[in-house]
Order: sequence, then structure tokens, then C-alpha cells
Amino acid sequence: MSACLVFLLSSFFSSPVWAGELIDKVKETTDKIIAIVSNPEMKKAEKAAERKRLIREAIDERFDWDEMAKRTLARHWAGRSDAEKKEFVALFGKLLERTYLDKVEGYSGEKVNYEDETIDGQYGTVKVGIITTQDKSISVFYRLKKIGSDWFVYDISIEGVSLINNYRNQFNSIITKSSFQNLMERLKSNVEEGK
Amino acid sequence: MLKRVNKSPFTAVAGSEKPSVIACMNRNPALAWMFLWCLSAALMLGFLPRMAMAGSLSSYDLALADAQSKQEPEEDYYEDEMIEDVSDPLEPFNRAMFVFNDKLYFWVLKPVARVYNEILPEPLRLSFKNFFLNLLTPVRAVNCLLQGKPDAFATELGRFVINTTMGVYGFGDAASVCFDIRRKDEDLGQTLGVYGAGPGVYICWPVFGPSNIRDTIGMVGDGFLNPLYFWPQESAYRIGISGFKVVNGTSLELGEYESIKKAAIDPYVAVRDGYQQYRKNKIKE
Repeated sequence: MSACLVFLLSSFFSSPVWAGELIDKVKETTDKIIAIVSNPEMKKAEKAAERKRLIREAIDERFDWDEMAKRTLARHWAGRSDAEKKEFVALFGKLLERTYLDKVEGYSGEKVNYEDETIDGQYGTVKVGIITTQDKSISVFYRLKKIGSDWFVYDISIEGVSLINNYRNQFNSIITKSSFQNLMERLKSNVEEGK
Repeated sequence: MLKRVNKSPFTAVAGSEKPSVIACMNRNPALAWMFLWCLSAALMLGFLPRMAMAGSLSSYDLALADAQSKQEPEEDYYEDEMIEDVSDPLEPFNRAMFVFNDKLYFWVLKPVARVYNEILPEPLRLSFKNFFLNLLTPVRAVNCLLQGKPDAFATELGRFVINTTMGVYGFGDAASVCFDIRRKDEDLGQTLGVYGAGPGVYICWPVFGPSNIRDTIGMVGDGFLNPLYFWPQESAYRIGISGFKVVNGTSLELGEYESIKKAAIDPYVAVRDGYQQYRKNKIKE
């Protein structure tokens, strides 16, 4: 009986059509990126650099690298000099960009469902369900912050694992065990190697 | 990668050499059931007071978080960001095991899984995975019940019936494909978490990967509900089946561990934190 109910409900709600300000923002960027990575013209070897550049532009529009960098350093942020802050933001931005680029370049027709959005003051969340080609469903949360009149992504959670929390704990562990300088060296070598 | 690590514990119990008490339960399944029920009853009783505490704590946290988001001072806002509260006194041992598992993956598991990948097409490998997942229905269903989720229990039961018949012995996940009835991933570690048990000390087990005290207890308890634990009788077959299951699972997730490692500055901490966040979220769901 219950199973029947679950079945009925789930088929009824299987593809909800949600729309809202934040979903529109995230969807716009995601659609742009999907259009680039699934364009057969762009898959040619000679277009690789252009493809990368276009994706990077689309991500940069919506992602707030500064905010992400501050949040990952957390309590270690305030003690840094301006030069250190600047260098860190640039390096960490590169690392995130590359990580995200690696993820979207592997796109192979996954379905993206926009499930919900919530706004609380200048903070907001968009809930997305991704159905992989192996028919596995992955839940993703985008966290956005309002700056001026526009919204920018400052964190992504995949299956409950927040990217920013994860880096924050790595960085905190490195800084408390050795030093900020050591963290910068390791960041640099990771960005270099990953090119 | 996390998923893989999560599932492999079941095979662990099925495949490994067992101490004599467990071997005795193996000969007598009824004993194992009784043990599990006593264990869960004891845990429920023991954890009820803590559950109440956890409940009040979380509402306090919520109120606190709410107050913070409304005040929000400029720069030092970032000072309040949460730093993981993971207890890791075994870090030197854990790091050594992390390196061991890393080597095991790159030197043994991955090469084997790649050859296997070449031989069998993906749909076939997926159907093997479905078959093993279907076999683990008792683990998920019992934990749905223990967590007081009758609807999820019904879903698991329904999925088992549909997948065993329409899906032909569970090789096809007809429930997901035809009816969009999705699996409820519950296990004893989560059940204990629901009743207020904290994760305890973080442990990176050789072969089985990231875990903690709570999830290790859960993994052992769930092992008694794994059909592969009772059948086949010969341990050589069980080890063979478990090995096959691990290789098959790995073949479907090649590259996931690599990308986690590539994105990390300290892969050990990245996996440790990822595991804790992932489990915390699973318990909350």
C-alpha cells in the first residue's frame, strides 16, 4: 500500500518544474557550459584552447573566487598581509577553476534537474539533481551570495560534501602543522603540475 | 570514490577470516539475528537520552547560525567558519594506511579493473552491480525500520520485488528505470548516528578505507545481514565473489579517486573530511 503510494507520488513529482531568480542564474551558466562542451565543432583538437577559454569565461561570470578564498582561509585570513592575500586568491582561484574545468570537460550527457531554491537575506541556495549516464542520481547544492544586484556562487556541495569546507580543513591542517608559506608552496606545485 | 569505500565493508565481512564467535554465528544464522536485534535494542535504549540531547543541541546550533547570518560583521565573519571537529589521534597510523590503500589502488586494483573494463561492456558491469545491490536489500530495509522510516522500508521491499522479478534476479534496476523508485541507502552506521552516536575516532582501514568507530561497528553489524555472509559455505567462493564485486565496482568508478586526489592539496585530509561530511549528510537525510 505504502509502496504504491510512494510509487504514485514519485512518478507524479519526478520532474518538477521549478523556476526562480537563483535557479535562473545557475541554469544560465550551466546551460552555457553544456552548450560549449557538447558542441561537436568545439571538440576538435585545434579548438581545445578556445573551448577552455570559453568555459573559463562562463565560470568566471558566476563564481566569486575572492569569497571562496576568504572562506577557505577562514580564521587564517585576517593575519595575512595584502600581498599574501592577493597571491593566495589568485592561486586558489586557478586551482578551483582547473578542478571545475576538469569536471565539466568530462560531460557526457548527464541530465540536470533544478529542484529547489531558497533565499535568506543576501544568501541563497539552489538544489540540483544530476542523473549520470549510469543512472545514478547525485545531489548538488550551489550556495550563492548577493553582491550588488547580482548573485554569485561561493560554494558547491556534492552529496553533502562542501568544496569550501573540504579545502578549509586541508588548509587549516597544513597551516597549523607547518606554515602559511608551506601551504603556498604546495598550492603552487599543484597548480603547476595540473596544467 | 566515497561510495566505493562505503560499500566495500560488506564484502570485507563476507570475505575475511572470522573470529570464533562470529564463525559460530555463521553456522547458526538465528544466533546472528538474535545478536543483531539485541545489539540494536541495547543501542536504542542507550542512545535515546543522547538523541534528546542531540535534538536540543541542533536547534541551538540553528538559532546560533541564524543569529550569525543576521549580524554578520565585515571581515571577521570568516573567523567563525567551522573547522572540522574530527578526532584523529591515530593520524600517523591512518596516514600510513592511506598510503597503503593508495598503492593498492594504483598498483593492483586499477590495472585489474582496467583489463576487466576492456573485456566486459559497461551495461553488463552495471547489471552485476545491480545484482549485488539487490542482494543487500536486507541491510537497507532493516536499517530503514530501525530508523523509523516505514515508507523507506516499503520502498526497499517494493524495489526488491520489482527488481527480482521484472529486473530478472536483480540484474536490472527496473524500479529506478521504469518507476523512478530510488534506492534508500541506509546502513547501521547511519542508524547509530540517527540515535545520537557521534562518529568517534577516525580510522583509515587497510583495504576498506575511511571509516570511524561508529561506522566500523555498523559495518560489522550489517555484515550479518549480507547474504554473502551465509552463502556459499566455502570461504574460497565467498572471497572470490567479494573480489569480483570489488573489481566490478571499481571498473565503474575509474578516475573518481584520481580526480579527488588531483584537486587536493593534502589528499589524506581531503578524504578524511570528505568522508565525515558525506556520512554526516547521509545521517541527516
